[in-house]
Amino acid sequence: MNISVFNPYLTAQSQFDRTADWLGLDRPTRELLRKPMKEFHVLIPLRMDDGTVKILQGYRVIHNDARGPAKGGIRFHPAETIDTIRALAMWMTWKCALLDIPLGGSSGGVACDPHDLRLREQERLCRNWVRALGRNLGPRRDVPAPEMMASAEHMLWMLDEYETLNEEKAPGFITGKPVGVGGSLGRKESTGYGIVFTVRETLKELNIAPEDTTASVQGFGNVAQHAVRLFEQIGGKVTCVSCWDHQEAVSFAYKKESGIEYEALAGITDRFGGIEKEKARQMGYEVLPGEAWLAQDVDILIPAAVENQLTEENVGAIRPRVKIIAEGANGPTTNEADKIIAGRGILIIPDILANAGGVTCSYFEQVQSNMNYYWEKDEVLGKLDVKMTSAFNNVLEFSRKKKLSMRDSAFVIAVARVAEACRDRGWI
Amino acid sequence: MSLEHAFKPFDRRFFTGAEKFTVIGRGSLGGKAHGLALMKDILEGRLAPSLRPEIEVAVPTLTVISTEFFELFMRQNDLFEIASSSVRDDQIALAFQRASLPPQLVGDLRALIEQVHTPLAIRSSSLLEDAMFEPFASVYATKMIPNNQLDADTRFRKLVEAVKFVYASTFFKDAKNYLQATAHSRNDEKMAVIIQEVVGVRHGQRFYPHISGVARSYNFYPLGLAKPAEGVVDLALGLGKTIVDDGIAWSYSPGRPQANPPYNTLDDLLGQAQHEFWAVNMDPPLEYNPIKENEHMLKFSLENAENDGTLRFIASTYRAQDDKIVYGIAENGPRIVDFAPILKFDLIPLNKLLKELLKLCEDTLQKMVEVEFAITLDESRGTPARFGFLQVRPMVVSEADVELPLAELEGNNVLAATESALGNGTLDSIRDVVYVKPEKFNFHHSEAIAAQLEDLNYHLVNEGHPYLLIGFGRWGTSDPQVGIPVNFGQISGAKVIIEAALLETSTMLSQGSHFFHNMTSFRVFYFSMSPSDPYQIDWSWLNGQKAVRDTEFVRHVRLPVPLTIKVDGRTGRGVIYHDRSS
Repeated sequence: MNISVFNPYLTAQSQFDRTADWLGLDRPTRELLRKPMKEFHVLIPLRMDDGTVKILQGYRVIHNDARGPAKGGIRFHPAETIDTIRALAMWMTWKCALLDIPLGGSSGGVACDPHDLRLREQERLCRNWVRALGRNLGPRRDVPAPEMMASAEHMLWMLDEYETLNEEKAPGFITGKPVGVGGSLGRKESTGYGIVFTVRETLKELNIAPEDTTASVQGFGNVAQHAVRLFEQIGGKVTCVSCWDHQEAVSFAYKKESGIEYEALAGITDRFGGIEKEKARQMGYEVLPGEAWLAQDVDILIPAAVENQLTEENVGAIRPRVKIIAEGANGPTTNEADKIIAGRGILIIPDILANAGGVTCSYFEQVQSNMNYYWEKDEVLGKLDVKMTSAFNNVLEFSRKKKLSMRDSAFVIAVARVAEACRDRGWI
Repeated sequence: MSLEHAFKPFDRRFFTGAEKFTVIGRGSLGGKAHGLALMKDILEGRLAPSLRPEIEVAVPTLTVISTEFFELFMRQNDLFEIASSSVRDDQIALAFQRASLPPQLVGDLRALIEQVHTPLAIRSSSLLEDAMFEPFASVYATKMIPNNQLDADTRFRKLVEAVKFVYASTFFKDAKNYLQATAHSRNDEKMAVIIQEVVGVRHGQRFYPHISGVARSYNFYPLGLAKPAEGVVDLALGLGKTIVDDGIAWSYSPGRPQANPPYNTLDDLLGQAQHEFWAVNMDPPLEYNPIKENEHMLKFSLENAENDGTLRFIASTYRAQDDKIVYGIAENGPRIVDFAPILKFDLIPLNKLLKELLKLCEDTLQKMVEVEFAITLDESRGTPARFGFLQVRPMVVSEADVELPLAELEGNNVLAATESALGNGTLDSIRDVVYVKPEKFNFHHSEAIAAQLEDLNYHLVNEGHPYLLIGFGRWGTSDPQVGIPVNFGQISGAKVIIEAALLETSTMLSQGSHFFHNMTSFRVFYFSMSPSDPYQIDWSWLNGQKAVRDTEFVRHVRLPVPLTIKVDGRTGRGVIYHDRSS
C-alpha cells in the first residue's frame, strides 16, 4: 500500500461529515468541529552533540476543548505531517467524548526520527519542544502523552522542563510518566486490555464463549502484547501475530495453529515489538509474509499496528469465519474497506471505542497526578473496565435502536456530546 | 458433583439482576458455594412455601469469584514463594495486599460495588471444603465490610482488600497445619470467594441480624433429656461469631425447644448466657487494618440491643425479688437472650423450619449436617421474618462398634477415664502425650500456653507423631479467661484431647463451636473430665515418664509402649490405658 496517498485528516473529516449529516448539525457547528480550533506550528532548533544545529518542524493541534482541557499524544516520526496530527486531534476529541471523559482532543509531534538522535539530543529536543509550546500547554489547558516513538523518559524530560519554566511542581502537566515519578499503574496495559474488554462484551452480545474463539493480531508491540495476554486469559486463543522486522524492513506474520505461547513469544521480542524470526521458527512458528495475519481462518481480527491497514484492495482476503474486527490501532480501516466489511456482516469495534483504554488511563493518571495521590492497580483497571464496558454498551444500544453501524453510532454519540458542550458554552 | 450450572455468569447487576446466584470466571466454586447451590432450589421451592407468610426463606444474594482467579492472582503476582514460606501470617497478608487482582476480575468487582451500598460478607469457599469428611470449618477467613461509604472508590478498595485477605488466609499457619493434618498438599487447595449480602438490620453504628444460629442434625453433647439424633441448635443475637468463635449461645434440642439448657441454678443460666453480641461496625473502623479479619466488627452490650429495639422478640427478664425469669422485656431487670417468644410461644415457626431444614439437608447430602443461618424479624410485629440460609456442611459420625462396660474405666493401668467422651472407636498407636502442667496452670498464662502448644504441635506434626493432649478449661475459646485460646490448627496433630476442669473453675466445658466440629469431623477423641467425676488423670504416672520437650507450662513425653484408647460412642464412656510396666 502507498502511505503517501493516504491522508488520515480527509478520512476523519469524511467520518465527521457523515455523522454531522445524520445528526443534522447546523452550519456553524459543522464549521467549528470539522477543523481544529487551534494550531501551533513551531520551528525547533536542536543543537546536536557535534555542535551543529538542526531545525525541526514541531506541531501542536487542539481540535476542540469544549468538554475540558485538551488531551493528546506527542509523536516523533520522520514523515510527520500536520494533517496526521489534525486527524489524531479530532479522533481524540471524539474518543474522550465517547468515553465520557471530561477532556478535549489534541495531538502534537515533531518531524524527526529519534533513532537518529543520541540520548542527550533527544533530551534537548523534548525540552525545546516544551519551551516552544509550553505557554499553551498545562494541566488546565492541554495535556500531552507519549505516542509513536515517544517514551516515558521523554515525558519526564518534558515535565521537568515545564516545571522549571513555571517554577512549580505540576505532575498533571503530562501523562505516560514512569510509575513512581507520577505515572499510573496499569497505564502500559490499558490500551491492550481495553481492546479485550470490548471484544469480551461483543462476544457476550453474539452469544459466543471466548473459549470457542481464535484471533489473529496485527502487531506485537505494547498494545498488541497486552491484548493477546488478556485475550488468552479470558479463554480465547491467538493463532497468529504479525510484526515489523526492523532489520529486513518488512513485516512478518508468525502463526501457530495450536495457539501462540504469549510468554515465550514475548521473550524473543524487542522493545519495539519485533520478534526474532529464527528463534520463532525454532519454537515451531510458521513464518509468513506480514499481510498473512489478515487472511487467517479465525473469529476475531485485531489490527493493532498503524493506520490504513484494511483497504479496499486487501479486505477480500478476510476469511468467512471472521465475525469481529477490533480496531486496536487508530484508523486502520479505510472508508471504502469499512463499507465492504459492513456488507459482509462483520461487526467492527471502531477505533475510537476499542483503543480508548489508553486515553482513559491517561485521564486517570492526570487525575492522580493532579491530586498527587496514586491508586492501586486494581483500582485503575477496575475503573477502566467499567468505563470501557459502559461506553461499549452505550454504543451497542444506540446502534441497535438507530440501526446504525457500531462506528457510526460511536461517532454520533461522541460528536453529539461535543456539539452539546459547545452549545452549552454559548460558542455556537 | 458439578453444580456450576446453578450459577449464571455475573452480569454486573447484584441485587437488581434476575439471578441471585452468579459467578465470575470459569473455575470451581469451592465447597461452601457448592453447598449453597445444592440447597438453594430445595429451600426456596420445597421448604419456603409451607412457612409463608411468617418466614421467608432464601439464600442471601451472592456472587462467587471462581478459583480460576485465585490461580491467576497467585501466578501473576509471583506469590507462591512467600505463600509457601514459613513467614508470619501478617507478612503473608501484607504481601497479598500489595499484589494486584487479575485485570479481568476487577471490572466486575468495580461494577458490583458501584451499585451496592449494604454490608457484604467476603467468605472463603475452598476446593477442599468439598471433601465430605473434611469440613475445613473456620480454617479460612471471612471478612465483613460495611460497604456504606459514599465514595465508590473507598467501597471498591475495601472489597479488594477483603478478597485479597481471604486469598491470603489460604496460606496462614493454621491453614497449613490443617492441610498437613489432612494429608493434603497445599497445591491441592484453591480458593473461591463468595461475596454475599449480610443478613441484618442497621441501627445507627450497628448492622446485625436479630438471630444467628447453627443447627446440627446430630448432637455430640446430648445434655439433660436431649437425644443425640434430635440434633442441636445454637442461637445468638447478632452475628454468628458469638456462637462460632466465642462458643456462647442458647442451645436447645429441636426435640425439646421449650427446655432451657441444663444449668444448675438461674444464676448459672444468667452467667453463661449471652451478654454481648457482634455486629458490623458501620462507622469508620477504630484502626485501619486490612489484614485484620474483624476490622469492621465490634462487640456491643445487650443494653445497646435493647436501645435498638432488637431484644423485644428474643429476650426475657430476670426478676431478682422472686428469683425467676419472666418472659419478655416489659419489666426492668437483667435481660436473658433465651428466644422465649420464638421457642416457647412460637412467634415464628423457627423450630419447625429447622427440623425440616435439617432433614432436607440430610436427605440431600446423605450425611449428618450442620447449617448456619441468620434471621431478621419485623421489629414492630415479629413477623414476617427473613431466614437467610448461609451454609451447609456435612458432619462425621462414627459408626464403629465399641463396648465399654463401666468396670473397664477403673484399674491401675488407667491413665484417664470419663463417662463424657466424644467419638467412637479404638486407638492403639499413640505414643506421645502433651500436657499442660497442672501445677503451673493459670488462666492468666493461657495465651502463653497456647503459643507453646502451637510450637510443640508444629514439631509433632512435622515428625508425623499423633498425640494425646491434656489441658484445662475450655479448648478453642477466644477468651483466655475461660480456657486455652487455641484454634484447631494450633493443635491439629492431637488425636485425643482431654479437657479437664479445675476445682476452682466453674467454666462449662466446650460445646458446639467450629473447633468442636473440626475435632469431631477429624475423629479426634474427646474426654471431658470434671473434678466431681469418679475418674481422675494419673498425673504421677505421667510425670514419671521421660520428657522429650519441657517448656515452662507444657510437657511432652514419648512412651515406649503406645497407649490404648477406647471410646464407646453410645454410652459416652472413654478410657485410656497405659502399659503398667512403663
